[in-house]
Amino acid sequence: MMVALVRPDSWNLPLFLHVLGATVLVGAIAATVLIAVRAPALRRLLVRTIGFLVLPAWVLMRFAGQWIDSRENVPGDPAWLGVGFIVGDAGLVLLVVMALIAWWGVRRPERRWPVRAVAVISGLYLIALFVAMWAMTTKPD
Amino acid sequence: MDTYDWLLFLHVLGAFLVLGGAVLAGVFNFAALRRERPSEIAMLFKFARVGVVSIGIGMVLTIVFGLWLVHHVGYGWGQTWIVLALVLWVLANALGGIGGSREKKTRELAERLAAEGDAPSAELTARLRDPVWLGLSWGSGIVILVILALMIWKPGT
Repeated sequence: MMVALVRPDSWNLPLFLHVLGATVLVGAIAATVLIAVRAPALRRLLVRTIGFLVLPAWVLMRFAGQWIDSRENVPGDPAWLGVGFIVGDAGLVLLVVMALIAWWGVRRPERRWPVRAVAVISGLYLIALFVAMWAMTTKPD
Repeated sequence: MDTYDWLLFLHVLGAFLVLGGAVLAGVFNFAALRRERPSEIAMLFKFARVGVVSIGIGMVLTIVFGLWLVHHVGYGWGQTWIVLALVLWVLANALGGIGGSREKKTRELAERLAAEGDAPSAELTARLRDPVWLGLSWGSGIVILVILALMIWKPGT
């Protein structure tokens, strides 16, 4: 247990940026879910939230995560780290698809399916982010 | 998973609810600044309340499980980062509480104006751009970020 509590100083900045990116990502994805479910008419706000918050937060979370991984040099291939990589990397594909669908929804306001698709994707990704947070915090074997 | 893992998870979950809730509330408050129709502003402020509730739950989780962690791990109660974090936690709550009460009055004004014809109002616009409210909201957010930095750097350990 004490190993987790004593951390070299050089890990602090990347860890801070990783956690900051992850928390902003969670908040921005939650806002995306809320807009898509409760205010589907606010399509421009949906696109702006994804473009100006979700994607930059993902970049900060993922690159800072890679930075700390290069410092920490975790031995083996633990499951908790794998969960983090899957949610991070597969998440980018989902987020890009979601951004394109949301943008399409602005171009075609008469169609309902784009906003519904964004609601489903963002809802699932929000759950995945909390699972990753649990795995990365508790580091189960 | 041992006790430490559970305590840390619940403490970090609280931090995610606080910071995530602040971002969520910020999205809708910022969007409200760009609107003029009271009904739209009232709706955006209603959505921002989800973030406020998340912040409230997160604040409780961070303090309860944070104090439990300090006791469980055996950190000294007088360590700089712990004392500073507790002082800043109180400050963030105070700033957020005062800002929240101003936000509630703005939301109530927007709801009343929406029910009375939904015409743009100079009073509502002024309230939305009230520098005191904006300062309290941003100030509270910055204090929370400083607490996050303290939790990671742990100065004085």
